[in-house]
Amino acid sequence: MRARADIYSESDGWKGPLTWSAGLHGLLVAAIFIYAAIIGGVHGEDWGGSTSGGGAMSATLVSKAAIPLPRKEVVTENILANESEGLTQSQPKQVEQPPPEAIPIPEKTTKPQKQPKPSIDKSKITPKPSNVVPYGESGPVNAPTTMVNLSGSPGGLNFGSGDFGARYAWYVDAVRRKVSENWRKYEIDPNISNARRVYITFEILRSGDAANIQIEQSSGVPSLDMSATRALQRIDTFGPLPPGYNGNKVSVEFWFDYKK
Amino acid sequence: MKRLRSALILVAVLVSSYAASAQNDWIRTGTGLGQEKVRLGVADFKSSGADPRNEALLKTFNDTLWNDLDNAGIFDMASKSFYPLVQPSQPGEVKFDAWANPPANVAMLAFGNLGVVGSDLSVQGWLDDVKNTQSPIVLGKQYKEEATDAKARLIAHKFANEIIFRLGGGVNGITESKLYYISNRSGRKEVWAMDYDGADQNQITHLGALASLSPRISPDASRIAFSSYPKGSGLEIMMYSNELGRMVNFPRFGGTNATPAWAPDGTKLAFASSMRGAMEIYVADASGAGPKRVSSARGPDVSPVWNPKTGAQIAFVSGRSGLPQIYIMDADGTNLQRMTDQGYAVSPSWSPNGQFLAFAWRRNYGPGAPGGWDIYVMDVATKQFIQLTHDAGNNDFPTWSPDGRHIAFQRGGNGREQIWTMLADGSKAHAISNTGANSQPSWGIK
Repeated sequence: MRARADIYSESDGWKGPLTWSAGLHGLLVAAIFIYAAIIGGVHGEDWGGSTSGGGAMSATLVSKAAIPLPRKEVVTENILANESEGLTQSQPKQVEQPPPEAIPIPEKTTKPQKQPKPSIDKSKITPKPSNVVPYGESGPVNAPTTMVNLSGSPGGLNFGSGDFGARYAWYVDAVRRKVSENWRKYEIDPNISNARRVYITFEILRSGDAANIQIEQSSGVPSLDMSATRALQRIDTFGPLPPGYNGNKVSVEFWFDYKK
Repeated sequence: MKRLRSALILVAVLVSSYAASAQNDWIRTGTGLGQEKVRLGVADFKSSGADPRNEALLKTFNDTLWNDLDNAGIFDMASKSFYPLVQPSQPGEVKFDAWANPPANVAMLAFGNLGVVGSDLSVQGWLDDVKNTQSPIVLGKQYKEEATDAKARLIAHKFANEIIFRLGGGVNGITESKLYYISNRSGRKEVWAMDYDGADQNQITHLGALASLSPRISPDASRIAFSSYPKGSGLEIMMYSNELGRMVNFPRFGGTNATPAWAPDGTKLAFASSMRGAMEIYVADASGAGPKRVSSARGPDVSPVWNPKTGAQIAFVSGRSGLPQIYIMDADGTNLQRMTDQGYAVSPSWSPNGQFLAFAWRRNYGPGAPGGWDIYVMDVATKQFIQLTHDAGNNDFPTWSPDGRHIAFQRGGNGREQIWTMLADGSKAHAISNTGANSQPSWGIK
């Protein structure tokens, strides 16, 4: 029998702690998700939304009143930390010296080579523009932002807060109906009785036209994916976006459930 | 480690996708979310003044508005008996809870007021999304017209159109559209016109000829092409200008010329003609100049219709294989394709979106064969078809409404034909004419 000294054979020694570590990390991630789902969900969706019922706090927008809102924070680039190499000159790189030999041999000493002078490449220096705004001193004019009253519905300025579905539920409904109407289920392979959801994304432009139709997540059934894409391609227009909405387009994620 | 890393990546993806979505407004929706029709409540408009004419005009207005929305085919109309006792006439008076919950349980509510001031009729109308208490108003409109019954109807049509346009996905309603048809009420078969709901029927032509047939309104509703028997000649294509209110000149080709059809841009006319012997399809300019033959077969070819979406195809009826069948060809006569496979199929009409053909079909033809003359709709791409009418006598001459949601057709026979309309799925069929014999409808945008 040969002698064997395997110092790595103690596998139990670190498998346990690693499992613990992985488990605890998993727990931590799960806790984050649970927190986000329970606490974050309550905060994020329902507050003041249309689904929150009468108990929610309701904020009345003041129409046509000049409210001196705080100016929007637009920060100029820190001119010290941008890509321009600037006027200051950094220290030239040290030329690497060959490692000194252990025992210098006097007969073979070569002449000391001249070190090239570090030169500044002048083309790389961007001159400081004379009209540059000093750091932190630009942004929009600090004027009152006016609330507007758009086509009868008290809207106010849209800050792209993503509440399209809440404000124009009727439009979302019309989109859903229109797509459903144009979905021809007979285009789907008749052997399929049940399939995963297929998700399609597209954009509705101001005019109501659909653009950028893409399959976001396939159902795994080509004929179902195809029928979903065709349903959208058939549609000429969804009707112009609501007059009160001032974005240029909305993005739509649309899913198709198929079950026979 | 691996697990932790994948979890971190997941978190990063979630965060970045949230950040991306925050920049743009997103709609997330899908199929299978319940009923497909909007449940709509229409509160009777109220009088906004004390003028004695208000009451009669209100009745006309309310009836017209209700019928227009009911006929639109995209609404589930909540019965008026379910409505709250107090009905609004101004945006501030809407009780959202009462409307949004059973028994009314509507998603949308139309309401408003009407009043006569001097000689003017003034109407204010709103559409509210009653389930969205934050910003309920979808639509607010104001109209001013002469205080007459016809104008009250017109305003109701216009307001209904706005509602249909908004909630129907950007497709204009048909409440201001008109039907052109043949009627024998004056003794001879002449071209007549009526509103889409059967109101305001009036005679267009006064030719006094033996008969006028197959009127076709141009896409911009400026002209009516039809065929008739002018003195001393056979059946010829005739042209009536809606704008001038009189007949305009159209060349006579000799032989038999029938069933004109407008190209979608209104610059060309296809028709069946025997000017050079056999009955074939010809295409000419809208003025009648330069007719060119585009079909050639041993049997007769008649009843052309253009694909309104592309203008690149023509469907027609051909007897080249025996009994008449529906065929499709490119507008230059190439790429011939047979659509129906049996029986006796005539009177094709192409849907505005180019996807469907409606036609009259007797699938089992012959003495004692079962079935009757019925209206069918066929998907042009797949040749799948559905039957729209059942056990209801002879149905023929279907014509699509400009919004593609309705079909008008002729039902009955032996001098008792009448014009009917139905939704394009065959439901809600009802007659819109009842005097004399009325046939061969053509649906125009106005």
